[in-house]
Amino acid sequence: MSILDYNGAAIMAMKGKDCVAIAADRRFGVQAQTVSMDFDKIFEMGPHLYIGLPGLATDVQTVSQRLNFRLKMYELRENRKIKPKTFMSMVSNLLYERRFGPYFVEPVIAGLDPKTFQPFIASMDLIGCPMITDDFVVSGTCSEQMYGMCESLWEPNLEPEDLFETISQALMNAFDRDAVSGWGAVVYIIEKDKVTKRLLKTRMD
Amino acid sequence: MFLTRSEYDRGVNTFSPEGRLFQVEYAIEAIKLGSTAIGIQSSEGTVLAVEKRVTSPLIEPSSIEKIMEVDTHIGCAMSGLIADSRTLIDRARVEAQNHWFTYNERMSIESVTQAVSNLALAFGDDDAEPGAMSRPFGVALLFAGIDEKGPQLYHMDPSGTFIQYDAKAIGSGSEGAQQALQEVFHKSITLKEACKSALTILKQVMEEKLNSTNVELATVTPERNFHMFSKEELENVIKDI
Amino acid sequence: MDSQMNELYGNNGPKQVHFSPYAFNGGTVLAVAGEDFAVVASDTRLSEGFSIHSRDTPKTYKLSDKTVLGSCGFHGDVLTLTKVIGARLKMFEHSHNKKMSTSSIAAMLSTMLYYKRFFPYYVYNIIGGIDDEGKGCVYSFDPVGSYEREAYRAGGSASSMLQPLLDNQIGFKNQEGATVVPLSKEKAVALVKDVFISAAERDIYTGDAIIVQVVTKDGVKTEQFPLRKD
Repeated sequence: MSILDYNGAAIMAMKGKDCVAIAADRRFGVQAQTVSMDFDKIFEMGPHLYIGLPGLATDVQTVSQRLNFRLKMYELRENRKIKPKTFMSMVSNLLYERRFGPYFVEPVIAGLDPKTFQPFIASMDLIGCPMITDDFVVSGTCSEQMYGMCESLWEPNLEPEDLFETISQALMNAFDRDAVSGWGAVVYIIEKDKVTKRLLKTRMD
Repeated sequence: MFLTRSEYDRGVNTFSPEGRLFQVEYAIEAIKLGSTAIGIQSSEGTVLAVEKRVTSPLIEPSSIEKIMEVDTHIGCAMSGLIADSRTLIDRARVEAQNHWFTYNERMSIESVTQAVSNLALAFGDDDAEPGAMSRPFGVALLFAGIDEKGPQLYHMDPSGTFIQYDAKAIGSGSEGAQQALQEVFHKSITLKEACKSALTILKQVMEEKLNSTNVELATVTPERNFHMFSKEELENVIKDI
Repeated sequence: MDSQMNELYGNNGPKQVHFSPYAFNGGTVLAVAGEDFAVVASDTRLSEGFSIHSRDTPKTYKLSDKTVLGSCGFHGDVLTLTKVIGARLKMFEHSHNKKMSTSSIAAMLSTMLYYKRFFPYYVYNIIGGIDDEGKGCVYSFDPVGSYEREAYRAGGSASSMLQPLLDNQIGFKNQEGATVVPLSKEKAVALVKDVFISAAERDIYTGDAIIVQVVTKDGVKTEQFPLRKD
């Protein structure tokens, strides 16, 4: 079994009309054994910028902390908020530094440009190869299921409420067919003037 | 005794010039030495009744079994060399279970009878299927049961021939009993009537006086499946005849 | 080099001979049961690795007027299995004077698969049809004969993409207070088409076209419509 599948996770991000959404499951487990159901896998990187880190739980926390460190250094040096695309490069760079002994995380980034509020989503493999899309990105142990759901449910220009419904349904139905992810979910809807965080009640098996 | 013996009695599968298989015919004759067994089909279910020849007071009557369960929905009555029937009944049971195992449905009465007749006909082959013997089986069977087509009664003889009947008698009293069945049977006969008639006819053809220990009675109905009558249930039927 | 060295130094140790009797030829099958109908669908692509052998190989097999089988995996095994099933159906009909019911076909297929428990047919099977009561039914199987009656099931290469969507749209999973309406034939067929379009987007082993077979008491109707071919 891959190290990436050791703890289990399901994360996706979607673009909407002037908004983006990022959602993750909340399970932390060791292979088949569930240990906790309130594990954070999405981290705030700015007022409109979030990163989801599915993969090996220890690396999830290490990477999030190292990103925080580098982000603060950037913002102090530059004295401005980072753009999502720049942040993506920062993540990519951090991961590629460990090209031959990688962190076992495959990040998902979602955010709005700090100036233009352009929606942005991207995903990455564990050594930092980035992929920017216009619709949705998925990552985690049930990526096939998530692709199947997103491919059918997603449509362009969804309003924030509809985007919330779409990403929630896509995520829940996907991880219900995966034994190592689920056990609750969290959804962030990122708009220009507000970010809404919602916890979803899901089946707990 | 050897006067009528001919060359064609040697091989069990050798036709005589008249086109007869003597050993098979003799086997059919052997049935007529057996105790009488009767089967009647009604719209509510099928009845089987047999006489038990308790030839000595020292015999334990319950050890003589001439009606057997093949599957929950099929019963079988027999007459002739009862020992021979063991292999046939065993085959019937295996075939019925195998059908259920493979197809998850109850095997039809016709198919069970067909399967058993295949074995009955496999005598004399040097490399025949397991269970086959060197001579014909000396027993006739009545298969009674319920399947998709409703209540069914089949008769099979040692030649492997099987025919469906509304009512059939086999064994020593079969001639008289068959005649009586023809008179008493009608299409709208009830199960209760059929049970009563079966015992009444048995009583007529039996040498001993009929009682609850020297007959067996069983029914196959949609409600109770194969059901062997207890001593008390038997006495209940007997008191009405 | 190695062989020259071996010759030179006379090092002729044991050699392992490799035998690989299976291939994966892709394909996705899907079956949905309604009140009085069943829909069985498959794509028509036959592939191996990065090459496409055929764009017109349906993987649905009509077994009787009431039963359709969807079968994919290793195509060699699919062909053999469907041929043996065909023979068994005829043998049953001859010896029992009746057509085999859908539930009996399912039970038989289970035993056929299990009899090859230690050299299995590398095949994913899903049966759709009409049961003895005239109701739509779906039976799904694993390659060694474990089977179950269900309302809907996807199998094969894109099954993991289709199944959660079926859970959501047919099983109304994760929908609080949704009114459970009985599935109509038209909605079932439309949904089947939709999910296959989605699968063809992401799964390279699913595409070219889809065959939809609708089983009702009046028999089997077949439709075909195109998918992306890349």
